[in-house]
Amino acid sequence: MAHAQPNPSALAAKIHTPFGVQALTLLGLVAIWEFIGRSGLLFPELFPSIGEILQSLWIYVTTPVMLPHLKASLYEVGGAIAIAALSGIPLGILWGSKRSWLEIVEPLILYAAVVPKIVIFPVFILFLGIDVHSKLAVGAIAAFFPISLLTIAGMREVKKVYVDVARTIGASPVQIAKNVYLPAIAGQVFTGIRIGLGAAVTGALLAETKIAKAGLGFMIVEYYGQFRIADMYSLLLFIFILASLANWAMKSLFGVLSPVSRQSGDAGMYF
Amino acid sequence: MSESTRLTAWRLGIIFGALLLVETAVRGGWISTFFLAAPTRAVIVLWQQLVHGNALLLTGITLFEIASCLAIATVFGVLAGFFLWRYKLIGTSYEMPLAALFSSPIILAYPIFLVTFGRTSAAVIALSSIFGLIPIIMNTKGAFQNVNPILLQVGASMNLSRQQLFRHILIPAVAPTIFSGFRLALTYILKSVLGLEYVAQVGGVGMWLSDASYKFEIEEVYAGLFGTISLSILFLYLINRCEHWFRK
Repeated sequence: MAHAQPNPSALAAKIHTPFGVQALTLLGLVAIWEFIGRSGLLFPELFPSIGEILQSLWIYVTTPVMLPHLKASLYEVGGAIAIAALSGIPLGILWGSKRSWLEIVEPLILYAAVVPKIVIFPVFILFLGIDVHSKLAVGAIAAFFPISLLTIAGMREVKKVYVDVARTIGASPVQIAKNVYLPAIAGQVFTGIRIGLGAAVTGALLAETKIAKAGLGFMIVEYYGQFRIADMYSLLLFIFILASLANWAMKSLFGVLSPVSRQSGDAGMYF
Repeated sequence: MSESTRLTAWRLGIIFGALLLVETAVRGGWISTFFLAAPTRAVIVLWQQLVHGNALLLTGITLFEIASCLAIATVFGVLAGFFLWRYKLIGTSYEMPLAALFSSPIILAYPIFLVTFGRTSAAVIALSSIFGLIPIIMNTKGAFQNVNPILLQVGASMNLSRQQLFRHILIPAVAPTIFSGFRLALTYILKSVLGLEYVAQVGGVGMWLSDASYKFEIEEVYAGLFGTISLSILFLYLINRCEHWFRK
């Protein structure tokens, strides 16, 4: 039986693609990581083997060990995004509906958006305690800004002629809001919610690392305190995978719901 | 009264109106001082800390961290951005992973940096530099990519050398976009530095806020919060002024 000989030029052509370069980079990073870890060249405790990290990740995925913490974090992030959407969208519509209001309010929101929301956490601790609600509040305030700002951006895009036409045919303010404004701003609002989700995850989990009784962020610091570095890495990986999946799911869902595709933004700005 | 003065007056009215409401609520006993400090008390405590305490030193540490991050992000970001533009395959390959890294909650990885660099400002600088690095890389790459080829053709037709092309055509053409990257980077660095200082309890102003909250010094918590917010707003204002000046 003839064996297929590897064709060097075909292999080179495969590597010479973005995917090939990405795969090669990943392999290179894994090799460097393993080399540093095994050779003891640089803090061996900081570079546990990839196998150990993946094994720990497998435990998180297949056993209920993380379930109470996952529930706490999901409650905080879910609550945060709900509060942020329920306050950010109506306020965004209100501010964006009148040019004079927008001119006054928009710079204030833009300046407030730059303040790192985590620094307001001590205030929430004073008012809401160290349980889940103070983290939920940090997540909500972090998600509020992208949602309200993108709603305002959506309102700005609504052409005045559409509103005028609706008025001339006798549409009520509620009908105008429902049939003109909402379809026009849907894309921006969905993008705002998606970016807000990222901000809420970062805000709530970062607050958990400060003071908490449960949650994924709380577990990161627990592992750090116990110097369980492999477990800490795998938990971070677990969080990144979850955040990416949530982002992807929202993008797909909103892609189906929204008639116009929108540019994506980043969450870092708003945490 | 000009339009801009009227708008500023409205904005200041909203801010001071809200502060007056809080002041009245606290002084009137509607909200316990156990939860909320009167804004005037917070300002007085902040002033005392600035004059007699170590708030000025802590602000200096925060500013040093921000400046270090910006320097690291600028040097490595511009070089990496240029490299990614120069080598198209590598540039295309790394564009998506960089964007994914940027939108992921990498700040949660701060314990790794605390383990590596210890509980020092170096940990804050190392992680916050990443937040500044990525927008500078992406903007630098984008800036070089979007240079109008006609400009280069004009330069070539004038027999400019490679160095002259780079100096007289490429650099002026890419500068505004790279500056937008700096602006973005500075905003992210500021947020990251202050946030990390507070969470990891190291460094400057953020650490002060964290200390005050642990000691349950309510007036100091609000003074620290007031200082942090003021610093963020002042920074954004200065960035905006710089950009305005630069574009002029």
